[in-house]
Amino acid sequence: MSAALTLSEHGRSALVLDRGVAPGGQIFRSVSTSPLPDRTALGPDYAAGAELVSAYTNSRAKHVAGADVWHIGEDGRILYSHEGTTKQVEAREILICPGAIERPMPIRGWTLPGVMTAGAAQVMLKSDAMVAENAVFAGSGPLLYLIVAQYLRLGVKVAGLVDTTPAENYLKAAPLLPAALGGFGLLRKGLALLSEIRRAGVPVYRNATDLAILGDQRAEGLVFTSDGRQEIKADTVFLHHGVLPNPNMTRALGLAHHWNEDQLAWHVTKDAFGQSSLPHVSVAGDGGGIVGADGARHEGTLAAMNVLTRLGHFASDQRDRLAKPRLAQLRRLARFRRFIDRLYQPRPALRLPQDSETVVCRCEEQRLSDLRQGFEEGARDPNALKSRTRCGMGPCQGRQCGPIVSGLLAKWQDLPVQDVGYYRLRSPQKLLSLEEFSQFQTVVPDEGGTK
Amino acid sequence: MNADVLIVGGGIQGCATAYQLARRGVSVLVVEKDYIARHASGVNAGGVRLIGRDLAEVPLSRQSMRMWHTLDEELEADTGFRAKGLINIAADDADIAALNDRQQKMQALGYDHERIISRDELRERLPFVDPTCVGGAMSELDGYAIPYKATNAFRLAAERHGATFLEGTELAGLRRIGEAWLAATSRGDISAGTIVNCAGAWADRVAAMIGDNVPLSHAAPMLMITARMPHFASPVVGAVSRQLSFKQFENGTVLIGGGAKGFADRAANRTRLDYAKLAQASRTAIEFFPIMAKASINRMWAGLEAYMPDNLPVIGPAVNADRAFHAFGFSAHGFQMGPVVGKVMADLVLTGASDFDLSAFRIDRYDRKVL
Repeated sequence: MSAALTLSEHGRSALVLDRGVAPGGQIFRSVSTSPLPDRTALGPDYAAGAELVSAYTNSRAKHVAGADVWHIGEDGRILYSHEGTTKQVEAREILICPGAIERPMPIRGWTLPGVMTAGAAQVMLKSDAMVAENAVFAGSGPLLYLIVAQYLRLGVKVAGLVDTTPAENYLKAAPLLPAALGGFGLLRKGLALLSEIRRAGVPVYRNATDLAILGDQRAEGLVFTSDGRQEIKADTVFLHHGVLPNPNMTRALGLAHHWNEDQLAWHVTKDAFGQSSLPHVSVAGDGGGIVGADGARHEGTLAAMNVLTRLGHFASDQRDRLAKPRLAQLRRLARFRRFIDRLYQPRPALRLPQDSETVVCRCEEQRLSDLRQGFEEGARDPNALKSRTRCGMGPCQGRQCGPIVSGLLAKWQDLPVQDVGYYRLRSPQKLLSLEEFSQFQTVVPDEGGTK
Repeated sequence: MNADVLIVGGGIQGCATAYQLARRGVSVLVVEKDYIARHASGVNAGGVRLIGRDLAEVPLSRQSMRMWHTLDEELEADTGFRAKGLINIAADDADIAALNDRQQKMQALGYDHERIISRDELRERLPFVDPTCVGGAMSELDGYAIPYKATNAFRLAAERHGATFLEGTELAGLRRIGEAWLAATSRGDISAGTIVNCAGAWADRVAAMIGDNVPLSHAAPMLMITARMPHFASPVVGAVSRQLSFKQFENGTVLIGGGAKGFADRAANRTRLDYAKLAQASRTAIEFFPIMAKASINRMWAGLEAYMPDNLPVIGPAVNADRAFHAFGFSAHGFQMGPVVGKVMADLVLTGASDFDLSAFRIDRYDRKVL
């Protein structure tokens, strides 16, 4: 939205292909049509999103809702499903904003019914005003605390918050705190959430380790160690320990990526304006590297400024002058982000499965032991392991297992993750109906304008 | 590093050759620039097909099919081979006429593995076929295997017999020094008595290093696979004259091929897809099997495959050098031939001769005698 607004302010229009039913993405999902009686329960940041959405809606941007992009070619062709057919559009400049996915937490039982992510809790709440009573929330990071606080404001009972933030992280992150104070507002918000949770009397367990889901057929609770072995019974367990860039679109397009050790995640390799290894493709927001909602707004604007320069709308020195305050803001946010990344850096034992029977690939039901066997039989590379075990071949296209597989292969060979690499991905980026695809022809959408 | 035989290329031909040589006590080294079964041998459609072969290939293909039927026991591995039969559907009377014509030629040569089936038998074996289809041809011996697994089964069996595989190792140059070949690779020099070129889409470059020129081209045949769906087809399905090919695996997924080509970028080691052509393949699949309209495509891909102008492979000795042999250019139907080609290459390396007539597969069959 920020990029489209910037283009609009300079007299250009953009075609925005959005899978969502309304503008707002994940963070501001349903902000203009909230089903909640009082959306302020979701916090002032969420409500503020309504302003952005309304400015965007009134801009020159052409928003196509329900446009599910399943292929972006380096030739600038974009294929997407829309209203039951495949459409194609050719673009001179492309900005990809695929957002974040939640970091998988492959503990024993994590694939049982009743185990969900904190992000799923947010989607249910924002879109459908649905909540789970007496749920356990486990993991670490701002999103986890935010959803717990949102639940409490709505009067929903929470069975417990199991905080897995390692105690030593507080020490490790402390040196980064002074630099992070530029993000004081954000820091204060985070602290306020935590004290809000404590005041509400929710049992909070700290420095939790050895998590496992209780139950055989479905989740019945969570066991963990925190001042001794603990057990909480619950029908629903929400897990969360941070987010990762959603890799499939940028990977399938073949953009250069690199491993970021601070965020323990693959980032798209790009310049300050979000320009990727392909000159006409830019990436903004969490999809390139986690920057948060505020960072994403700046990145979108900067990418648009760069696109305007590339389209000859203004000179690069003019761009640099306009960009300066935004870049400074981003640097300030980055210092805060480094603090958060260090503080909430997940435990290795929660990032990679420990139990040989733990399912790694949900789609193809591949367990840690299956992957280890494939490795022993000679598969050293994520793609070789995929070919051998089918891990990553299912409908999610490796979104869930990809980071785990790269991590495991790195661990087993004592190699940097960067050297191990990631799955080679292809379009389509979602299940595509054969009937829809069979009717594919080059349709130039009438949503014209400068693309 | 030294070996009796250096094999260039870790696809199914290279791995099967390594297996056949190693089990006979020969020291074998395989260099593979990526990883075993990375390209055509690992990402092909897995068809194990005897039906419809060029007549020159039939003797090899028949022997290979016999080997497929006992391959799992021989290699002590799971290649995923299933003899489900293969039916080529006849869409109209012209197709039936073509089938009758071929049937006569096959009978004259004493081959009985292809059989024409009636409209009723077609319907019985493929209940979901479009009712306008008039019949077909069937081979009961045919089926499919899992390409990556099958290729690696040969690799692991070869390793058990002492063969060495060097992955991520690219051949940079070849020199003949006295009675030996000296191969410069990205992992150092290798000295070998014999070279076997199984380099697939890169085999023309290896052939040139050996001293033979060959008009090899490469392309990117495309495939797509659906999410699991209820079982509706047991045999592998093809068509006499249409671009239709699919098979439903035991897990319910359906692999759709048909021969449409994407874009092959050999220098960059990758392929791009041509979505309009894949859409055409989807249309054909739905025309023949309306139930497929309900399918969901999960993945699409293409592999880099080597083609000869006559779509027949090169199998045999080098013509411009001693102690060098070729097996490449299988033109998108070499997977089934892998087992027998390994045997043929081992025979050539060890005895200089083969039980099979390889004259149609000579590397110099396109050499011009005059300008």
